[in-house]
Parts: sequence; structure tokens; C-alpha cells
Amino acid sequence: MHDQTDAADIMMGDVVRLEDVLSRDSVTSVCKSFFSLFGLPVRVITHEGDLLADVHRDQPLCNYLNTLDAGERECAKTVGVVRDLEPELQTIVHPCFTGAVYRIVPLEYQGRPIGRFIVGPYVPAETTQPPASLLSVDAAIDSAAACGHFETMPRVREHIAKEISDHLKGVLELLLFSGHRAQLASTMQVASVRENYRELAEKNEALESSLDELKQLDQLKSTFLATVSHELRSPLTSIIGYTEMLESGAAGALSDGQAEFLGTIRSKADQLLGLISSLLDLGRLEAKSLDLKHESVDAHALLSDLAATIVPTANRRNVALDVQVGEQTPKLWGDPVRLSQILLNLADNAVKFSDEGGTVTIRAERGDIDAAGASGLGAALFSASRPAVVLTIEDGGMGIAEQNLSKIFDAFYQVDAGTTRVHGGAGLGLSIVKQLVDGHEGKIEVTSTPGEGTTFVVTLPAADDDA
Amino acid sequence: MQIDFAAKELTVKLVYYGPALSGKTSNLRAIHWLGTSSACGELMTLETQNDRTLFFDMLPITVSSGTGLKVRLKLFTVPGQVMHNATRRLVLQGTDGVAFIADSQRSEADANRESFLNLKRNLQENKIDPDGIPIIIQFNKRDMSSIRTDEELELIAQRSKEPIYKAVATRGYGVMQTLRGLIRDTWAKLEDDHQLEEKFGISPIRFMTEVEAKLKHDPGPRER
Ligand SMILES: Nc1nc2c(ncn2[C@@H]2O[C@H](COP(=O)(O)OP(=O)(O)OP(=O)(O)O)[C@@H](O)[C@H]2O)c(=O)[nH]1
Ligand SMILES: [Mg+2]
Repeated sequence: MHDQTDAADIMMGDVVRLEDVLSRDSVTSVCKSFFSLFGLPVRVITHEGDLLADVHRDQPLCNYLNTLDAGERECAKTVGVVRDLEPELQTIVHPCFTGAVYRIVPLEYQGRPIGRFIVGPYVPAETTQPPASLLSVDAAIDSAAACGHFETMPRVREHIAKEISDHLKGVLELLLFSGHRAQLASTMQVASVRENYRELAEKNEALESSLDELKQLDQLKSTFLATVSHELRSPLTSIIGYTEMLESGAAGALSDGQAEFLGTIRSKADQLLGLISSLLDLGRLEAKSLDLKHESVDAHALLSDLAATIVPTANRRNVALDVQVGEQTPKLWGDPVRLSQILLNLADNAVKFSDEGGTVTIRAERGDIDAAGASGLGAALFSASRPAVVLTIEDGGMGIAEQNLSKIFDAFYQVDAGTTRVHGGAGLGLSIVKQLVDGHEGKIEVTSTPGEGTTFVVTLPAADDDA
Repeated sequence: MQIDFAAKELTVKLVYYGPALSGKTSNLRAIHWLGTSSACGELMTLETQNDRTLFFDMLPITVSSGTGLKVRLKLFTVPGQVMHNATRRLVLQGTDGVAFIADSQRSEADANRESFLNLKRNLQENKIDPDGIPIIIQFNKRDMSSIRTDEELELIAQRSKEPIYKAVATRGYGVMQTLRGLIRDTWAKLEDDHQLEEKFGISPIRFMTEVEAKLKHDPGPRER
């Protein structure tokens, strides 16, 4: 199984090829300093047979021999043999016919052969005379010249040659070790980042799909709400219609008792109709199918309409209305019907929760609305605050406890179950108000002191022409 | 495991797993220092400044059997810190056996459990059956105070599926026993799965004898 994949080797922490972990440049510079220190030629060859570094100087003896036919042949033969020799574990000392030798040292890493280096040719200092094989290699050889060149060959004692080769082996293996370490660290770094990314991406996907599911459920809920309230409304309209007919005497004269009961039936039916309409609105709002018109709406007109609508109820409960519109109040930008609905809901509540003889204040004035990030980093890039109309509805009623303030905008929430009895309503009003305000890109805030009263502040964008 | 029939060479991966600071790296250090240089290669550690393993440590052990088979055992540690889970999973890829290094201190019981669950999950994610792979457990740091007592460990050992070893890794106690146990169990499993005796003519007993002989320190200074 020699075709092991790189990935498997990395997983096993193995080196695939010498040149993957040893840079040519660093090997070459080590060999150069080796050469300049000891004057010995050195070549590093990978397990696959590629030359990784080659530092040598041409020897006069070799140059001379290469001018002779048989000399050149013999020389090439020796060099070929030396290049292809691959020692298993032990160093091989291979002799040349010139009397010089080559020292071939195996490089092994983590129990596997990974390459070798060749030191030489050099003449062992123990050899003093050129051998007969040199002088007889070619008929045309000039013995004196050959002997002269032989004298200039690099010379070193064998045990020294062994020691410095061992030293070079140690240095190369250390380079290999640190190169391998660096390679593993960077491979692991990349692999870990990729793995982390994959994990996050998977989790994100799972989250997204559960979000989609939730959204679908939500949609289902809204649709259900809309359908149910629609279905309830039709029979109820009939009930109200027939009750009105009875009241008007269309089916004969009524006794006082009958008229009173019919009156109660009709007022309760009206209340029910109002509730159902709110449900329908809520359903539409949540389904985001409520189309808001956008036009300039005059605050004066809006508030005087509101006052006119609310006055009868206020009078009945003996609550005074104080309506103020600030001088510089700009026009609002929104849907007139929905804006009245917002105000009517809040004002109606304020009156409902006021004590006898109390006062409800409704105020409109100029203000501004903060766009997101207006004060944070890069504020210059985000639109800063824009002109707005601030509507304040203040009552002197029983107030809302602090812990309940955050919940009052939730659908179906009623601060105190007991109040439902007295004042009617299913807690839908404020949730609709909140959604309508959001739909206008405005905001609503509430502050309250139990026993002293509640203040709602609605900030809505002003129409541009007034800015 | 990788088999190279041409080179008659097996490469076996063994992973030291466990919670942060339980002594995984210390185990490898001790093996490197106790083992012979003819079998143990250089210990490679990839760690952060505070001695915490960042990617892994690796110690290669080469056992050249008299049968001509060469077995390369590659010992890895994982980073124990919780945040390095992706790296742990990567290091665990293709492992043949696991030594779970637990911290004996009572305070670390939760960390041990957490890490063991994490091991099972990561094995599964790497498509390795946690019930099939050899796992041994070492209770390390036996020299510390407020640890699980020997009696407790005996009780644990009685109902444990995994063999239990005790160690003081920093002093080298129990480290070699753990390693031998891990190699023995892993080899037995590889023999079952790959019929190594049939293919390479080496019995589990012979292999273990050779491993022990190769790992045992011959008196005298290290050659390297
Ligand atoms: N007293 C005592 N201390 C130990 C023992 N084993 C390890 N330690 C110490 O515990 C600390 C952590 O040891 P490591 O071997 O680095 O732990 P690790 O499991 O590799 O930790 P991570 O790489 O973060 O996962 C070191 O300070 C060790 O000296 C032991 O047997 N006894
Ligand atoms: Mg470690």
C-alpha cells in the first residue's frame, strides 16, 4: 500500500517527502558552511532520488580524468553507482578507482528512510600513495600529472570523516524535526479552523431551520386568529342587527323590562364585537398584512377628533380632559385611521382607569426620535435623530406596579385579572397600540407610579415637509 | 492503522485523551525519558506558553520485530482544554486505541466525566465505535492529597469495562504499565480485525515480549 494519501500521513503525523519539511535554501546553507569548514563536498538526496542540495568544487583530478576517454567512462560509472546507493541503516563508504572515497549516510525519520547525503570524494588521510587503479585507468594517462592532482584532493582521517558526517546527520535531522513541527502546527491550525467553521456552520443551519419552523407556527397562529375572529363576527353582527330591530319595536311594543334587557344584550354584543375586531387587527398585524397608509396628518385635527370621541365617556365618569397641542408641533407621517386608533386606545384606557373627578392630559409637542446607533461608533454613517411628534397621555389613576410594566404590551395580558371585570377588555388594546406604533417606526414608553398615575409617551416620526 | 505490505510495516495510532491538566503530556514525557532511545524517537510537543498543549504532542516508537515486521507506534496527546474540541476531534481521527488519563483528585471528577463523554462523542463523529475500540483508564496524580482512595479505585475497577491503571506521571510511576496495557489491548483488537499473526507470522504474545524488551531500559547512558 504505497499510495497512502497525504491526509492519512498527516493524520499519523508522518513526513511524506523530505522536501515538504526541509527548505532547499536552509539545507544548502548548512551544506555550504559544512563545506567551508571541512572542505568536503556534500550532496543531499531525497528518498525519491531528487537532489536537494549540492555543494562541491570541481577537483583538478576529476577534471583531468574527464579529458581521457576511459577516465571519463570510469568516473561517470562511479558517480552513477554512488548516486543510486541507498544505505538501509548503516553508512556506506564507497571507494573510487582514484583512491578517493564517498561516504553515503542514511537519513531516517520516525522509523522510516527519508533520504541520504553523500560526503566526498575525499582521500582518507591514511592513503598516501595513488592506487594502481588510478594510474592504469587509461592508456593515455600522464602519471606525473595524475599524481600531482591526487596530492591536491581534500584529505581527512576516516574517523574524523565519520565524526563530522555524524554531526551533519544530527544537524539535518534536527532541521527535519523542527521543519516537521512547523509543518504540523500550521496544518493543524488550518484544519482546526476549518473544523470549527464547519461545526459553527452546521449549528447555524440547525438554528435557522428551527427559526423557520417557529416563524411558520407564528404565521399559523395569526392566520388562525384572523379566521376565527372573522367567523365569529358574522353571527354576532346578526345578533346585534336583530336586537336593534327588536329595540326599535319592529316586532311589537316592548315592556320596560324587555327594553332594559335588550339594551344590556346589545351593549354586551357591541363589546364582544369590539373585542373580535381587535383580535382581527392583532391577527393582521402579526401577519404583517396590515397596510399602513403614509400621509401628513395634522396633530391639531387628530387631537380634537379624539377629544370629541372621548368626551362622552369622560363626562359619564366625571373625568376632566386637558388637551394641549404645542405651538411648533409638526405634522405626523402615518395612517390617519391607525393614528386615531392608537390615541383612542390610550385615551380610553386613561379615562377608564382614572378615579372620579380626576384629569386626563393629552399633549402633542415637537420632539425627535433617535435612529439606531446615532451615538455609537460610525455615527456619521447612520442617520442621526429626526424630527418627531411626541404624544403624551397622562392619567391620575391607580397606576401599574413596576414589575408589570414590561408585560403590558403583551397580547392577552391584563395587569390585574380583577380589573378585567370592572373595566372590560381582554388586554389586546395595548398590544395592538404597540404594533401600530412599531408599524409607524415610532416608539412607545410607559412610566407609572402606583397610586399616582400612569404616563404613556408615544414618539412618532414627523412628516418631512415640516422638518 | 496503516499497513504497508511491501515494506512489512505497520503504523498504529494511540491517543492519550483526558481533561485539561490531567497529565497527558507528562505521560509522554515520562515514556520518552524512561524508554530506550533505540525504540523511542524524539518527543514533539506543540504547546502554548503555560505548558498547555495547543495541537498535540507526538512520540514515535519503532519496534523492529525479529520476524522482519516493523511496527511504528505513534503516541499522541490531545489538548484537554474544552475550547480545543475541534483539534481533539482531528487528532482522534483514525486512532486504534485510547488511554484516558483521568485526574485522581476528587475535585476533578466532573471534568473527568465531561471529558469521557466528549471522547465518546468525538469517536462517534470520527466513525469509530466507542464500544469497539480499546480504551484503558489511568488515574493519574496518585501523589496528590484529597484524591480517590485506592479502595475506591478497586471498587471502580470491579465494575469498569475499561482496565484501570494508577500513575504518578511526573515521576514516571505506572506510566510504562499503562503504555504496555494500551499496546496489548490495541494489538489484541488489531489481531481480531486483521489477523496479523496469519499475515505477518507474529503472535500477540511474541509481539508483546518484543515490545517489552525493546522498551526496557538497558543500563548505561542513552546513545543519542
Ligand atoms: N503532582 C502531580 N502533578 C502532576 C502529575 N501529572 C501531571 N502533573 C502536573 O499537572 C500539570 C499538567 O500536566 P500536563 O501533562 O501538562 O497536562 P495535560 O493533560 O497535557 O494538559 P493539557 O495539555 O492542557 O490538556 C503539570 O503541572 C504537571 O506537572 C502527577 O502525577 N502528580
Ligand atoms: Mg498536554
